[in-house]
Amino acid sequence: MSKRPLSEQVDEAVQAMLVSLRPRPERDPSPSLAVLVPIAQVLRDLPRESFRIALKSDLQRRTSMNEAVAPSPERSLHYMRPGFTSITPYILVAGGTRFVEFLKAAFNGVERLRVPAPDGTIMHAEVAVGNGMIELGDANDQYPATPVTLHHYVDDADATYTRALQAGATSIYPPTDDHPSGDRWGAIQDQFGNRWYIATPKGWTPGPKGLRSIQPYLHLRDAHKMIPFLESAFSAEALGVHKSPEGHVLHATIRIGNATLEIDEAHGEFQPMPCYLHIYVPDTDALYAQALRAGATSVEAPTNKPYGDRAAGVKDPFGNSWFIATYLGK
Amino acid sequence: MKATQRPGRKAALPEGGPLQKAGSAEQADERALVEAAQTDPAKFGALYEMHFERVYAFIASRVRDRATAEDVTSDVFHKALANLTRFEWRGVSFAAWLLRIAANAVVDQAKRVAREFPSPEDPAELVADPGLRPSELRAIENHARLFRLVGQLPEAQRQVVHQRFVDQRSIREIAGRLGKTEGAIKQLQLRALERLRAQMESGHV
Repeated sequence: MSKRPLSEQVDEAVQAMLVSLRPRPERDPSPSLAVLVPIAQVLRDLPRESFRIALKSDLQRRTSMNEAVAPSPERSLHYMRPGFTSITPYILVAGGTRFVEFLKAAFNGVERLRVPAPDGTIMHAEVAVGNGMIELGDANDQYPATPVTLHHYVDDADATYTRALQAGATSIYPPTDDHPSGDRWGAIQDQFGNRWYIATPKGWTPGPKGLRSIQPYLHLRDAHKMIPFLESAFSAEALGVHKSPEGHVLHATIRIGNATLEIDEAHGEFQPMPCYLHIYVPDTDALYAQALRAGATSVEAPTNKPYGDRAAGVKDPFGNSWFIATYLGK
Repeated sequence: MKATQRPGRKAALPEGGPLQKAGSAEQADERALVEAAQTDPAKFGALYEMHFERVYAFIASRVRDRATAEDVTSDVFHKALANLTRFEWRGVSFAAWLLRIAANAVVDQAKRVAREFPSPEDPAELVADPGLRPSELRAIENHARLFRLVGQLPEAQRQVVHQRFVDQRSIREIAGRLGKTEGAIKQLQLRALERLRAQMESGHV
């Protein structure tokens, strides 16, 4: 009589273990079985992933509220909600829950916060990706989906590209060393219409703090006009501007506060995708007024929000919406 | 989850042992992280990432069920965060400090249970303090390492391990959820266990 497959023997041992029974002795036990059982026994204590994440989120929330912890005199960027940088993309998406799962599977995203709506959709969620953050909410009739283009810097573009495809994204092009930036660079589109440039930098980093893992990437018509607008509206700084002989912006990196975004002239299939951006600034009221003077239109005047930010909203001449916020904290 | 060993360990950890090697690169990194978090509590997350599995492994092996393990783990990290500024480097690693908090939390939890559900067992025994033996510390480290390795499994294997061992789902249910045959799920379970064993033996971190 042939021996039962090892996978069957192992499963019987696991099943017995899970219901605390003594497994039926194998008539002809595989030696491989005996060495796997101790591993399985320890796995009964494996922590729930959701618990691990929820506790971290809980602890972070507590530090952000400064409850029962030491003061932090060296935190210079007091006007940002902890965990945030100056620029965070805010994505309205059809299928928020699935999008969060995608961010976890493809990019090792860590869910920091989820505020559900009464109907079970996501009113607001925050997912940390690398040293950056993505905010999202479920789209609805009033606020339709706004897919974005993001630049995601990683240590291994090929591995991340592969994981993204495994998580359901489709390839735009695989990572190549031939990209004009000199970085190893690939592109994908996720199931929600967002586009991701996945890149491993090679020797070039903007700003003193190094690369942000997540940078919004805006394809714009008349992109060259965006640079002076951002400079005057948000006190932005252009860190590198490459133009074609005709004056089109081939690529520019723009810094606001401690973070960066990128722009270029829309081309081919890479057309404008107006999006929402969330920027933390030292003084919302001042920057809101400054943005309006620079040509932005008001969406919402500054108010104190119940979640502890003072926030306002403006729209730029290119159709992008900007949440301007100051973390009130404390 | 299995029936527990009776909790009976408190505070003192032995000198030496795997958690208290001085001067290693890991400890230097850890020290930098602790000092950063003492200055800016928002940086506590890095310490949490580094020690979550260790603390959870310690607690899970000493309490009755998963819900209690989660409650006590949560309690330990909140206490650690609240007392972070009181931690000083005096020959005891941060990991050992956390396990000391954990050991006390396990005893406190057992005392609460003993008060609510008195049994013939003398609760005074719960504070008996034999300390942790090096073999126990090694076991905690091994469990924590195994938990971390699960996170690095190929996605399908990782899902099967979580659904089987954490959610305690049947092979049939997992097969239905993942859209695979029961045979395929058993194979994934086997491959996962084999891979974990190989990595544990190779000292892969």
